[in-house]
Amino acid sequence: MTFRFPNVYLAPELFLRMVLVLCFLSQSVLAKKEFSIEGSFESYCIECHGMKGKVKGEVNLISFTEGKDLKGDPELLQTIMEVIDFGEMPPEGNQPIDNTERKMIVAELKKLLAESVSGSEKDLVKAPIRRMTRFQYANAVKDLLELKVEVFPLPEKMMRDRSGYFKPASGKMPAKMMVSSRPLGKSGLIEPRMDGVAPFPQDLRAENGYDTQGDHLSLSPLLMEDFFRLSQSIVKSPSFNPKNVGVWTQYFEKSKRGINQMDELKSRLQHLLKRAFRAPVDDKTFSKYYSFAEQEMNKGMEMGDAMKDVFSAILASPRFLYLYDRGGEESRESESRQNLDLASRLSFFLWGSVPDDQLLDVAMEATLSQDEQLTKQVDRMLTDEKLKRFCDSFPTQWLQLDRIISAVPDEKKYRDFYYGPPLYRTTMDMMMEPLLLFETVLIEDRSVLELIDSNYTFRSARLSKWYGDAPNGKLGGPVTIRFTRQSVKDRRHGGLITNGAVMTMTSGPLETKPITRGAWVAGVIFNSPPPPPPAEVPPLPEEKEVDDSLTLRERFADHRERADCAGCHEKLDPLGFALENFDPVGRWREKYHNGREVDASGTLFRSHKFSNIIEFKDAILKEKNRFVRGLAGHLLAFGLGRELNPSDSLALDEIVESVEGENYSMKSLIHAVVKSKPFRGPSVKLALTIKSKF
Amino acid sequence: MKTMKNIGRRTFLRGLGTSALALPWMESLAVGSKNYKIPQRAAFYYVPIGVVRKTFFPGEGQSSVQRNFNNDNFDAESTRSNLGVGLHDLKLTPTMKPLDGLKDKVTLITGLDRTFQPGTDVHAQCASCFLSSASPFSLKHTPYPQARSLDHILADEIGKDTPFKTLEFSCNSHNDNKESIQFDNISWYGTEHVAPSMRDPLLAYRRLFKSDERSAYKNITDLVLDDARSLRKDLGYSDQQKFGEYFESIRTIEQQILRLDGMRNELSKVDLDIPMDGKMPRGEYIRLMGDLMVASLQSGLTNVATFMVGPERWDTPYLFESLFDKPKSHHMMSHNQGKFVEDLIKVDHFYMEQFAYLCEKMNRIEEANGKTLLDNILFTYGSGLGDGSTHQYSALPILIAGSGGGRFITGKHLNVSAKSGLVKKVNGTFKTPDGGEPLANLWLTQAKAMGLELDRFADSTGTISSLLV
Repeated sequence: MTFRFPNVYLAPELFLRMVLVLCFLSQSVLAKKEFSIEGSFESYCIECHGMKGKVKGEVNLISFTEGKDLKGDPELLQTIMEVIDFGEMPPEGNQPIDNTERKMIVAELKKLLAESVSGSEKDLVKAPIRRMTRFQYANAVKDLLELKVEVFPLPEKMMRDRSGYFKPASGKMPAKMMVSSRPLGKSGLIEPRMDGVAPFPQDLRAENGYDTQGDHLSLSPLLMEDFFRLSQSIVKSPSFNPKNVGVWTQYFEKSKRGINQMDELKSRLQHLLKRAFRAPVDDKTFSKYYSFAEQEMNKGMEMGDAMKDVFSAILASPRFLYLYDRGGEESRESESRQNLDLASRLSFFLWGSVPDDQLLDVAMEATLSQDEQLTKQVDRMLTDEKLKRFCDSFPTQWLQLDRIISAVPDEKKYRDFYYGPPLYRTTMDMMMEPLLLFETVLIEDRSVLELIDSNYTFRSARLSKWYGDAPNGKLGGPVTIRFTRQSVKDRRHGGLITNGAVMTMTSGPLETKPITRGAWVAGVIFNSPPPPPPAEVPPLPEEKEVDDSLTLRERFADHRERADCAGCHEKLDPLGFALENFDPVGRWREKYHNGREVDASGTLFRSHKFSNIIEFKDAILKEKNRFVRGLAGHLLAFGLGRELNPSDSLALDEIVESVEGENYSMKSLIHAVVKSKPFRGPSVKLALTIKSKF
Repeated sequence: MKTMKNIGRRTFLRGLGTSALALPWMESLAVGSKNYKIPQRAAFYYVPIGVVRKTFFPGEGQSSVQRNFNNDNFDAESTRSNLGVGLHDLKLTPTMKPLDGLKDKVTLITGLDRTFQPGTDVHAQCASCFLSSASPFSLKHTPYPQARSLDHILADEIGKDTPFKTLEFSCNSHNDNKESIQFDNISWYGTEHVAPSMRDPLLAYRRLFKSDERSAYKNITDLVLDDARSLRKDLGYSDQQKFGEYFESIRTIEQQILRLDGMRNELSKVDLDIPMDGKMPRGEYIRLMGDLMVASLQSGLTNVATFMVGPERWDTPYLFESLFDKPKSHHMMSHNQGKFVEDLIKVDHFYMEQFAYLCEKMNRIEEANGKTLLDNILFTYGSGLGDGSTHQYSALPILIAGSGGGRFITGKHLNVSAKSGLVKKVNGTFKTPDGGEPLANLWLTQAKAMGLELDRFADSTGTISSLLV
């Protein structure tokens, strides 16, 4: 879990050093008469963290052994709990805390953390008000207009459905599908889209986070100009016509003669404003937009055209452009407003867009926040085809798949990686594989553990050939590719960690990068990204410069020997070297080119020994709750638009607990995330524990 | 002159820089009134990922980062220039060679330092906090010492009357979503409030010189502003603060429209073909964006501009057409100076050439006071790292072209540290060499010279008086 500490920024070097420095252990506290956190600190920690003025990693625990209340510092509590829980502390080379005691300490710290962050509800951190991302803007406009074309091209989407395979209502992924890739280096342009409408720039992903992160989404005059320009160009586009705009008759058609014009305008506007602003509008707001349209009509404009102008104003209005929770005093009182906030949060999470009528209706009745209705709505949303937006945004960002676009394996060494000028690479097939697996686990509501280890996968003919299987069918062109579902008998494959995409994007042009891979596993799979690397990472000598007889692991040895590197390497090395059998382009190898055997053995979290990739996957599955907790944290951060912090920690535990009994199914995980306290929002009254089954 | 119809857009932009073409109408465009006073102007040219010291800094020719470099196995002392503190004659090093023709109009300043605040990637603060007005460790709610950047603070004073208070340009043409905003921006309205940059030359050109599409949305601004006011009441306190950006943006645009309207007559005389397709070679791209910046400064569209030649870190390779036949990643090469030092020196030189091109362009534009645009501006070249290999935040490469209307000395080399050179890490942290001065001192000096009443800027300890005439 990545946490931002409001008050304590640990110097990364110092933080790492916490891992290294000897912490003297006199005797196990279990041997003493009574267990206490203070006692454990005294036994294991303060030698380095507080005694004799030593404050490794700027963490001083001595005051806590002298009666200071740990609960006053939830960030520190969280940090201590994690380093002990993940076995990072005390550092290797010291007498370890045995597992029983480790569990006791963690449980106790967890309890303290719970007490520390429970308390008033307003302490739950809210995401700041933020403008929509480009992806959300395009979806929202499309949904409001029921547009049959795209608003503008979105390279955010890595994979496009070319055969209509994405049918979440069916609960089944087909055995074959055609998908087209995001053309590398070009901005996707395959779908029909509105003429004369140009996008604003894509939003960048936060480090270890998502493009939905609120503190990254601010507005500037330059961008506001874009919004004005867009709002105009959309209604003025020749594509804005009855053929493309599904709601044409509802909003933009010429008004019929013989009806009360003003009544007609009123009813058109009321619905449009409600949808666009995700809430019924009060009279004051309504009359603003109404009089705007009225004035246009008084100037002789036809009603349909006046509605176009209003629509354009709506698209530039902050009530449309911004995502926010109502925070005024008045709204705390109103349950339906809290429900409406929840409806928006939900629809931007799963549909990347505005809520539909049904969602707004139940929110207005204030029943959405009730478990039964919430379950029902989420179930409905998970079978709607708009779920594709979730699949177009969350998994690519979670897996950091964008990195594959800039992966350039050496053209001489990996000649067959490239198959046509100028930008066609095997990459384009590779990036589909994990995405199709993710969609299958979601649509078929399978266990999220299949993302680690699955007995099926999706392959194109080129990808089959790449992995050394017999290609099934034509190799296919770069743009539209046929994928088929295949069973995986060899457990080296299956799951997404060992996918060619992941292996390639975490490698250099000539050799793998075990530390980059380790950092990827730590951040993506366990949601525990390493602190930023120290400033002066010595480069790994290029192959030509080093003793050619060494293995990669041997060449890294001096990193581990250096005090300021060893801390991180202890954590990342086992995760990265476990994948060494996969070469820089994701193909299996037993030996390095110098003939030396690949050694992929290691120990996960200092407790599960493994000697190869299959055992590594088994080790991860033994720690499945850590993976599920990590994934829950990713989903929550994506959905909330903010980084998580210690006060979310309990919610994550509860989410994991509730999906354990549901076979870790993907949908139960999403349900649990949505029902968690941070997602429901600070103001919705509900019991602290969420154990309801759905 | 009357009809420019058949002149290509690019020809026009090039032409803007030549006084012969520019003066007759561009000056009237800039002047606007009879009592025309030459405005104070400032521009910043940011180079990512540091430089190779031995070819950039005078007297450091011996310093080099060894093969298999790691940051505690070299003798930092031996890399020092041992140049005395004070003013020296400016000697152009190999990297500075492109400035040959302008030697008496630039000043090199060595020994300026920043402080990296641990807690983020080391590159993440290079650009994002380069012009920041926040001292390191002063902000509690963010790991970045990042607050309103110098360009906006200057513009609050010297950009009051121009259509655009500031303009931000960037030559980042990457299209993979690989890095966060902190790596990609030097200009910030405030903490976490980025001032995004223009990076598409055609869109920038339209925005700056073709104002006709603006009138179309004039009629809806009142409506949405009114609505925004009532929405604000419904927000919590901190959201209300952040939501201020919406009002600020619209207010800014309205002012832009008003002022551009005033200039429209002049701007409308510019009738151009706008051919624009295909991917431009990197040098041409940088120069074209630079042309737009110079034209904006010249014409009075703005008095303050920032120009980022590329983002920090972002590993995706670029094709530097004139240098290499294959795309190269500046960042990746910087991590292995031992192997790539010759290529890195070429990149440094390439970015300096573009800087020199812009300086020369400004120097050809005569202004009403008989001096050139370059004389009348402070155009600062700088990078957030003192060396791309050590990642040191100290002993930064900083150059100023122009004298800010005669306020700054030129043609000199000011060294403010007796120990400017490569920096070694000691006990896990970079030791700032003794005797240097904070970069913020330069920013404070510039701000005060432009008439701002400031006592401090970020972690400044004073002004650098020897830079002033």
